[in-house]
Amino acid sequence: MSTTLHILSHSPFSDLRLSSCLRVLNADDALLLCGDAVLALQADTAHSAALELMPDSIGLFVLAEDLAARSFIDTVPARIRIVDYQAFVDLTLAFDKVNSWT
Amino acid sequence: MKFAIAVFSSPDQPSNRRALRFAEALLAAGHTLERLFFYQAGVHSASAHVVSPQDELDLPKAWLQLIQQHQLDAVVCIAAALKRGQLNAEEAQRYARSGHSIDAPWELSGLGQLHEAAQSADRLICFAGP
Repeated sequence: MSTTLHILSHSPFSDLRLSSCLRVLNADDALLLCGDAVLALQADTAHSAALELMPDSIGLFVLAEDLAARSFIDTVPARIRIVDYQAFVDLTLAFDKVNSWT
Repeated sequence: MKFAIAVFSSPDQPSNRRALRFAEALLAAGHTLERLFFYQAGVHSASAHVVSPQDELDLPKAWLQLIQQHQLDAVVCIAAALKRGQLNAEEAQRYARSGHSIDAPWELSGLGQLHEAAQSADRLICFAGP
């Protein structure tokens, strides 16, 4: 089965993109949070809990710049990997498809 | 690897800036950027009439510099641009408008250019929304 990198940039508190995305993720897919989607990492929220419950095979990433802009750096769960733009480019090549939830 | 980038958001959206940073990063890594395609509100990226506040990143200027520096193929959807008042000299003359806002190296063309880029590139990365 082909693998997909899903990219989210909308706040999970304003629409259902994150929850919809988590439902359709396949076992070896990954999710990159950027922009206001970083707010899903806010501690003690249903969104961060849902992310932590995702199977280990699903890669969870966050764009460093957007994370720093929201001062969430200290509350990022251990399994979330922080990536810069160079790693973002590499990520898009590590999966067969890239899907932006626009 | 060959990339194509589609930008759907205007320069006042963070996703427009992410597209620029992503383009810079892939070029720095030695990859090829086959085409930049600007659609919907993304067409404002090509406008020479945007004046950015001094303490903000001037995205239309930054895009233009990247395109010139790397001689990139930068296509603006003609229908999306015209209805948003972004015209090149040729379109301004065609529709009898008093001025134009898009110059070379930006190119006005159709959606087929996005389709073609999607076919020829290894990855099409879309930047839209916030």
